[in-house]
Amino acid sequence: MSTMLEKLTINYPYFFAVILLVIGALTVLTRSSLFKKLFGISIMESAVFIMFIAAGNIRGGTEPILNGHNTGAVYINPLPSALMLTGIVVSVSVNAFALALIMRLYKTYGTTDADRIAELRNEVTDK
Amino acid sequence: MMSSAAANMPVLVVIAPLFTAFVLTTLARRIRLVEGLVVFTGILVLIGSGFLAADVFNKETALIYQIGGWPAPWGIELKAGSVGVFFLLVASFVSVPVSLFSVNNLSDEVGGKERTARFYVLYLLLCGAMYGMAVTNDLFNVFVLVEVATLSCCGLVSSRNRPRAAEAAFTYLILATLGSTLILGGIGFIYIITGHLNMGFVHDELNRIWQSEPHVVWTSFSFMLVGFGVKSALFPLHVWLPDAHSTAPSPASAILSGIAVKGYLICLLKILYNVFGYTLMRAFAINTILVLAGSIAIIAGAVLALMQTELKRRLAFSTVSQIGYIIMGIGIMNTKGLSGTLFYLAGHAVAKAVLFLAAGAMISASGRKKISELAGIGRKMPVTMAAFTVGSLGLTGIPLFSGFVGKWYLILGSLESGSFFPAVVIIAGSILCAAYLFSVVRVAYFEPAPDENWKDPGLAQKIALIVLASAVLVLGILPDPFLELAGRAAEELLALK
Repeated sequence: MSTMLEKLTINYPYFFAVILLVIGALTVLTRSSLFKKLFGISIMESAVFIMFIAAGNIRGGTEPILNGHNTGAVYINPLPSALMLTGIVVSVSVNAFALALIMRLYKTYGTTDADRIAELRNEVTDK
Repeated sequence: MMSSAAANMPVLVVIAPLFTAFVLTTLARRIRLVEGLVVFTGILVLIGSGFLAADVFNKETALIYQIGGWPAPWGIELKAGSVGVFFLLVASFVSVPVSLFSVNNLSDEVGGKERTARFYVLYLLLCGAMYGMAVTNDLFNVFVLVEVATLSCCGLVSSRNRPRAAEAAFTYLILATLGSTLILGGIGFIYIITGHLNMGFVHDELNRIWQSEPHVVWTSFSFMLVGFGVKSALFPLHVWLPDAHSTAPSPASAILSGIAVKGYLICLLKILYNVFGYTLMRAFAINTILVLAGSIAIIAGAVLALMQTELKRRLAFSTVSQIGYIIMGIGIMNTKGLSGTLFYLAGHAVAKAVLFLAAGAMISASGRKKISELAGIGRKMPVTMAAFTVGSLGLTGIPLFSGFVGKWYLILGSLESGSFFPAVVIIAGSILCAAYLFSVVRVAYFEPAPDENWKDPGLAQKIALIVLASAVLVLGILPDPFLELAGRAAEELLALK
């Protein structure tokens, strides 16, 4: 039991990443507000970013820049951070696109609730 | 000159559509030029991928391109192996007639010249991402291409100026992003335990250490399966597909159903076989999961398709069913099963593209969406309906049409692996497929037509339909060269233990 706890405390960033991932997925799947769905997606993405960055981090390590002074220092792995920069760019573009779609839906239906939109749409098709 | 073009071909086929896409944004007003450029780029890429296919076919080794000249563990690799080239050939072939079909035909559907130009930009971005998925050999590159494809797919779905389209696109965007987040998570787990992103290096490392980290490998497997399952609309993760594919403009539906979902399946295939490899798939019983999930998708998709009254929705649900065959085929882990899967993928790509294009032509000519309202349309629009019929026969798997060869090899493969169950499901699925497609053909030919002036579409559209319909026939009558290439690809996938 104590080793289990030890593992959790040492690897706490991963633990937080899993919690965030679950919160995000639940928000996406259970909330009917379009904005909350979008927030859920952002939270999930952040969880994955945290997992990557934690994997690249070394405690006590410095940024991997060779400037002639700190030779022999421990460097963190820069690759995951660089990859997540790409991931963040992708996530921003997804957010922008989703917000544009929400705007268009709001202009048509006057609400940002997915259930209400489905009701309104069915009324239109019934007529 | 020629040899340098040959060595750079894997990257050229990806860059050409992406480059043209960004040029198009400056030419929005000159729609003729835009359409010409799109078709021209499509033909160029088709020639390029034909060249790559010939090259791989003759040399029997994969052509590897290192981006920026950085060698493998550090740089990003593009690898034109048999699997990639096979999909590249299929995707680039289908994209040409689909873009030809949109010539002079789109501005009514998407509303205005500027919007048409934007549609083409997204179309080319999607094509570029698909070709990239075919040749990439790097896990993070897979994620980036998957995201490019997803965003451009959503753009294509929302390109019609209707509230319904925005709603479908939003659902698609949210679920697809959920899928790609899971894919990125899966890649993250692999990266954490192996320290590599290049597929070949990950494969070697993973097979060395997987026994010490079985939980991480298992989590990664499940993230990948669910992520790509959402993306490629594997039942019951298909909920976004029917709305998205039926509200998109017809050329977009054709490319989304015909090619886009297949791109994700090719990525899944490459990740399962080239990254995890045969041994790990067996060890974690992934093949059983795939066969079961595929069987459920085949039957459920077909039953749902039978229940639809709108033509495009029926075709969209049919895609859910057809994806089942490919997923099931990925789980049949022998040469016959895998070559059958790849061949079936090609056959479905051409058949579904021609079905969606013909359906789009009928709906825009008649202004009616429901199957029952399209009575007698076969006599008024003979070319369109003939193409639709050929597509239905191809999808159902009647001998001499494209679907037959693929299904035949799938059945042979499943019998060779010692189980009857997939073979039974394939046959039942084909019967259901005949039920939901031939009823459309029956209504269109054998019921009295109303007195309306429905006409075949213009020349470019007719050429597009005829090219795709004859491709269905060619794949059915002369399957040998394609089967040979698919067989090579299957051997390449199974060679990595």
